[in-house]
Formats: sequence, C-alpha cells, structure tokens
Amino acid sequence: MAALSSYSMSASTPTFSFQQPPQTSSAAGGQTQHSFYPYTDNGGSTLGISGDSFTILAGDTRSTSGYNINTRHEPKLFRIGGSGPTHKNARIVLSVVGFAADGRALQERLDTIVKLYRYQHGKDISVHACAQRLSHILYGKRFFPYYVTAILGGIDEEGKGALYSYDPVNLKNQYEPEAAQGLGKPQLVAKPLDRKTTEELVRDAFTSAVERHIEVGDGLQMMVITKDGIEEIISPLKQD
Amino acid sequence: MFIARSEYDRGINTFSPEGRLFQVEYSLEAIKLGSTAIGVTTSAGTILGVEKRITSSLLETSSVEKVVEIDRHIGCAMSGLQADARSMIEHARVTSQSHAFHYGEAIKVESCTQAICDLALRFGESASGEEEESIMSRPFGVALLIAGYDENGPSLYHAEPSGTFYRYDAKAIGSGSEGAQAELQASYHKSLTLPEAEEMVLKTLKQVMEEKLDANNVQLASVTKDKGFRVYGEEEMKGCVGRIEGE
Repeated sequence: MAALSSYSMSASTPTFSFQQPPQTSSAAGGQTQHSFYPYTDNGGSTLGISGDSFTILAGDTRSTSGYNINTRHEPKLFRIGGSGPTHKNARIVLSVVGFAADGRALQERLDTIVKLYRYQHGKDISVHACAQRLSHILYGKRFFPYYVTAILGGIDEEGKGALYSYDPVNLKNQYEPEAAQGLGKPQLVAKPLDRKTTEELVRDAFTSAVERHIEVGDGLQMMVITKDGIEEIISPLKQD
Repeated sequence: MFIARSEYDRGINTFSPEGRLFQVEYSLEAIKLGSTAIGVTTSAGTILGVEKRITSSLLETSSVEKVVEIDRHIGCAMSGLQADARSMIEHARVTSQSHAFHYGEAIKVESCTQAICDLALRFGESASGEEEESIMSRPFGVALLIAGYDENGPSLYHAEPSGTFYRYDAKAIGSGSEGAQAELQASYHKSLTLPEAEEMVLKTLKQVMEEKLDANNVQLASVTKDKGFRVYGEEEMKGCVGRIEGE
C-alpha cells in the first residue's frame, strides 16, 4: 500500500477512486468519519463534428485513475442500436467521457431501449428521438447521475449530420452543421466542413490535446457515420 | 346452446374442449348490438362515421360521443359498450403522450393500436392483484376503428376485444356492419377523394340505419396530414348530409 499512499498528495488535491481513508476530525473530539465516494474520473476526451452528409465522433482510448493508466485501449465510442452484439446496420454513435463504468451502463441502457424501439415500432429510431430519450434517461437519474458527459451523433431523416451534447443530467445542445458561434468576423460565412478536412482537424485536435493533458493519449478512435453506415478508424497517439 | 356452453362460461379464461374462449366470443357478440361505425381510407386521409342512436327527442345529441381524439394525428370511432371504450382510449392517450414525451415524435398509428390491443387481453381472475394495472374482470365489450396519419400516410385499423387487430382500406363495425361491409366492398376504390369518402360513409350509414339519417344522428370525423384529427361541426355535418340528399 506504500505505493498507493504516495498518490494522496496535499489535502486540496481532488481525491479519486474508492480509496478514501477514514478521516479523523480533531474538531469533533477525534471522531472517525467514514465516507464513500461512488465516482471516479477516468479521464480522456471526446469530440463530435457534424457535416452535410456525415457526423464524426472521436475519442482517445486511454483510461486513467489519477496518475495510473488502467489500460491503453478502452474505447469511449459506442454504436447504438442495429442488430445483435455487432450492432449491424447501426446509424447512431454515443460517446461517453467521465466515469467509465457509468458510461458503459448508460450505453447498455440506451442500446437496449433503441433495440426494443425497433421491435415495438417496426422502424429504426431517428437520431432526434434517440437524443430525446437519452435526455430523459439522464434526467431520470437527476439525484444520482451517470457521471458522464455524452455526445450523440448520427444521420437525420434528411441524410444530414446530427449532433447532440449532454451534461450529466440533461441535453445541452443540438448542433447544426452550418451553425457558427462567437463574436466578430461578421464576414465569415459559416458552412459545413467536408469529410477529409474534418478528419484532419480531429487528428490535429487530439495530437495537440495529448501534449497538454496527461490523461489523454495512447489511441484515437474515430467513428464516421454516413447514410451507408459507420466507419471506425483507430490510429495511434503518443503513449507518454 | 346455452346449456352446452355453460360449463365453460364460468372461468373467464378457460378454454372449452373445442378450444374456444366463450367470454371472448360473447364480447364480439356485444359489438354486433352496438351502433354502426364506418371508416374509409383515401390517399388524402381517413374518414370515420358513426351512427348516433337518438333514443329520445329530449336527448341532447351532442352528448353522444362516439368519435374521439387519441392524439393530434389519431382518432377513433367505437361500437359496443361505450363505457368500456373509455378505459381503452385513456390507455391509448397516455401511451401516445408518453411516446411523444420520451421520443419527441408522434407515435405510429400501428403502435398505438398495438397498445390498445395489449390492454384488451388483460382481463380475468389472475389479472387482479398480481399485476397492478389490470382492471377488467371480463373482456371489453367494444370494438374500435382507429384512424390516423403518420409517416406512412393515412391508415385505418380495426381492434377487437380478442386483442387482434387488422388494417383496412374500409371497415364497418356494429349492428349494421354486415350490410355496410358488403356495400363498402362494392363501392370502394383506391382513388377516392376525401369528399367522396365522406359521401360513401354517409350513404352506407343511411342504408343500414333504422332511423332516417340526418345531420344530428350521424357524426363524421377525419384525420388528415395538415389538420390532424377533427370532428365535424354542426354546419359541416349539415353540408355533408345535404350533399348526399341532393342526389
């Protein structure tokens, strides 16, 4: 345990995992207080970009606990729906970052709901309907949230890219492919990026992120959703 | 007939040796006593028409409600025990709203019909107590014509107390259903317009009704893409009835 205790640095450092030692308070007459914190941050980053006829979701594959790397290959992107364990013919992707166990639980729940939807209504769920459902799943656990930041991406009924982002308890944003935000540059005309540019942008973004954040690295998982299906690309990132 | 069947009439979910469920069959008989209801589908929408039985001249005809809304895009006409229909329609409404709440989209007409039929079979001795939401001790004594408009266009479903449902181009239920169905079979074609369907429903009702058809003892409703479900008002009813009388 000597090795473990070396991680708990100063008291102001945010604690991680379940390894909280009992705390002895001097003020309350030396009473020992036990506590249990059910969440861990497994780190990592995800992003999503929607285009005219595609949506790209990406995430690194490193999973961390504090300064430890649990594994170098733990995907944060999941296919939702389709048939069977391989998600054949799926057109929706969920990315989760935060507490990996909650992320997996959320993914399994949404996947089950989406598959049941197909049996009950005889059609594939639309991204919009799936996004709304996910919002309710998250809010349903308002007081014991899934500790994740999720992004849901797919292709809408018109074949356009669709993208939704969430905080741990709710739907936050729906992104339009041609939307622009920010101040200034009124002369800048917003237009959707093409697929090649977007893929390069994603790679660059992650290469930079790896340099700046210790919990990001090892591998880049990209999923490109088009009307023809989901293309998964896994490429290496720096392992330091 | 009564003596032969009585042994298997006690248990509501007991098969007879011939493999029949008498109470369910009797509930189908109850519908044949009900007032006639007709549905006709066209490419532009679906028309529902019901006969109102005005049993007294003192009866306020507008209080006889036999066509009701389930959701903006789904409506239904009933024949049989009116009161039984209320709990089925309540269930359908809740299911439709719950779907809209969870998925942010309108429920499909078929899914809504399926939800009603799921409820139709939740009766019998075992139903009470064990499950929290089974209410009926006997089968429902009402049949529904469910009309709607969804992403697949207009549609019409017929739901029975037995829990089975079928999709129809045109369907009649209730006491005059045999004659009316034959009439629909003869005159229905795929290229009907909405006004033609209105006329077909009214003419068919006119043939099978005991009383003389007028604007008060029939009720029309339509489901279209733009206007959704809509019960015809007094003036509109007069107009439609006037059209078939003019011929």
